[in-house]
Amino acid sequence: MSFDARGAVPVRPLRIALAGNPNAGKTSLFNALTGAHRKVGNYPGVTVEKREGSRFRNGREYVFIDLPGIYSLTAYSIDEVVARDFLLDERPDLIIDVLDSTNLERNLYLCLQFQELGIPVVGALNMSDEAEAKGITVDEKALSALLGLTMAKTVGTKGSGIEGLLDLVDRAVAGWVKASGPALPRSIRYGDEIEARIEPIEAAIAADPLFAARFPPRWMAVKLIEKDADARERLSGHRDAAGVEALAASAVAWIEKHYARDAEIVVSERRYGYIRGAAREAISRFGKPDFSLTEAIDAIIMNRFLALPIFAAILWGVFQLTFKLGAYPMGWLESAFAWLGGAATSALPAGILRSLVVEGIIGGVGSVFSFVPLIVILFFLLSVLEDVGYMSRAAFATDRLLHSFGLHGQSVFPLMLGFGCSVPAIMAARTLKSPRDRIATILAIPFMSCGAKLPVYVLLSAAFFPKNPGAVVMLVYAIGVSLSLASAWVLSKTALRGDPTPFVMELPPYRAPTLSGLLWHVGEKTQSYVKKAGTVILASAILVWAITSFPVYRPAPGLADSGTRAEAAMEQSFAGRIGKFIEPAFKPLGFDWKIGVATVTGFTAKEVIVSTLGVLYKVRGGEGAGSSGLRAALAADPVFSPLVAFVLMLFTLIIPPCFAALATIRAELGWKWLGFSVAFMLILGWGLGVAVYQVGSLLALAAPLAAGGAA
Amino acid sequence: MVVSDARAGSEFRVLRVTLGKEVGKRLADMGFTEGAEGQVVRSGFRLGGAFRGPFQVRIRGYDILLRRSEAAGIEIEVGS
Repeated sequence: MSFDARGAVPVRPLRIALAGNPNAGKTSLFNALTGAHRKVGNYPGVTVEKREGSRFRNGREYVFIDLPGIYSLTAYSIDEVVARDFLLDERPDLIIDVLDSTNLERNLYLCLQFQELGIPVVGALNMSDEAEAKGITVDEKALSALLGLTMAKTVGTKGSGIEGLLDLVDRAVAGWVKASGPALPRSIRYGDEIEARIEPIEAAIAADPLFAARFPPRWMAVKLIEKDADARERLSGHRDAAGVEALAASAVAWIEKHYARDAEIVVSERRYGYIRGAAREAISRFGKPDFSLTEAIDAIIMNRFLALPIFAAILWGVFQLTFKLGAYPMGWLESAFAWLGGAATSALPAGILRSLVVEGIIGGVGSVFSFVPLIVILFFLLSVLEDVGYMSRAAFATDRLLHSFGLHGQSVFPLMLGFGCSVPAIMAARTLKSPRDRIATILAIPFMSCGAKLPVYVLLSAAFFPKNPGAVVMLVYAIGVSLSLASAWVLSKTALRGDPTPFVMELPPYRAPTLSGLLWHVGEKTQSYVKKAGTVILASAILVWAITSFPVYRPAPGLADSGTRAEAAMEQSFAGRIGKFIEPAFKPLGFDWKIGVATVTGFTAKEVIVSTLGVLYKVRGGEGAGSSGLRAALAADPVFSPLVAFVLMLFTLIIPPCFAALATIRAELGWKWLGFSVAFMLILGWGLGVAVYQVGSLLALAAPLAAGGAA
Repeated sequence: MVVSDARAGSEFRVLRVTLGKEVGKRLADMGFTEGAEGQVVRSGFRLGGAFRGPFQVRIRGYDILLRRSEAAGIEIEVGS
């Protein structure tokens, strides 16, 4: 809360919604407006990120809320529903409409709808430098006068025009307070004949003042003409909902008879007509932007024969680069945690506390944090592709293929993120418009082998397939992708049957990414993974430590050999007892109780499998996948064979990924789909594992490594 | 003629969108209204008859990707 110059009357912070089309540079303008003062939360009920930031200026606080990028104020996608609910239910003091100056025609379409909301609107003519470079000149004074809202030129990426924009905000708010009343906002007129039908509806809505205070009558009336389902639902709170609806129905009938087409189409036509008129006066080279550079690149990238191979090559390059670059920081982190473990060992007296800190916390969390660099690099490269504008090209290249598996071109980005971490991947699926596509994509994501599963593959393939560990890991990834597509296909033929959903997607011109934007994206996506390591994995590391350390084992006299003693202690512990109890379920997979315990603890997160095996096999020191001690211990265990190791990899790939991912699925789709997904993954994982093990055993592949040699 | 029949590179004027409810409204929101001028930039790649990729259509100063099923619902007249 800030105070005005006299220090007496508090000036309420202004709540300003930042809204606009996707690709209009909204995020960079938000960053320029708020600097470092921001926080990320979620919109209630959905995991659409809600970014809020503030700025102080002349003793006043401005709070900016970044709304998701949308094309229209219908309720077509989750993003639109979120933006619209926020504007209607929270009623910000003002809307800054971020407009792409290089393409005002379509951007103004949304602006007209904001003006109908009865909230003051200020236009930010963003990317004005790019527009000028393309030879598009915008006379913002003339445009402001024509459309009835003030506008300022801005360049979000350079932070210019911000002060001018905030001056307009101040003026708009002051003018609004002075003039107050529903008559003030100037908005589009749809022509005398249609207006004559809208006005009675408006009046009927306004007759219930309580309702009219919540929903602007003008907006409501137009939405009813547009046959908007969500608006009709909200109308049920009106005193005379039936009367209003009858008026709207007769207006729709009249318009459709008179214009011989759907009323909602007529409304769209009128809006575009209005924009054309205003733009002709105020914008030069309107609607004829220069596409030459983008077109030259797309001639290759989107070539009908090359698009798909180029996509595959880019994906392959991203992986190569991730693992090549990531190896170095991974090594550093591993040695840092090993050093930390050593330091804690010498600093703490032997006993339960030292065991907890060294084996439980540092060992458990350390093995997870070592993978953060991989994830950061992967997310960075994917964000570059996203910010440059490649992801829509990838959707173009893959839509036909994904479509035949019941997915959507836009599924490609969430699925690719899935190679890093399922949590941001599942969230990214919200860009999909249809619930069916979204559900299919979200349920397919866990099969895209995430970064956390990699340590399990690396450990097992190095121990049991020493000749060709890389090829085995690649095989498991390929199986994951195939299962992901196959499960989507099965779902689209069974639980998610229906008509194909539309594919209508903007293809933005290529843009150079900005470093701050990239870092922001990477930070956002990495955050969920680090948070997981800090919470779920820390807790499960302690839990795993506890169930393997208690009850404390009292060696029977006569058991001299320390190896036997460790094994007996393990069997005695809670973990051992749990393992023995569930062993029958894992027998058909060729797993003994130790592997059983590891997969059960791996339910919290897949990296935990490696650290649990480390504890179970009493391998001290760094428990990272690179540790040769655990590899040797596993290879020496007669229970393991290349076949069992492969089945364990397969099982790890298929069963539910981690608590954090499950929590995200629940938040996105609810309990029902979470239950379905968990059951599906468990049955498929167990079934496929049993099938592979049993068939493999019949073919006599189950020989232990020592006897049968490496496969 | 509909968009999916148009040759790559051909310029057109929208006559009407024949798709139902939500999709029709969405296309209108995105700028496909009567009289709007556009261009088919790229027609979807083809592998056999049915296996056909999306169309890239330029309308109201920006580019949009459409599947064949949507492109087949936009009636146009191709300019001379």
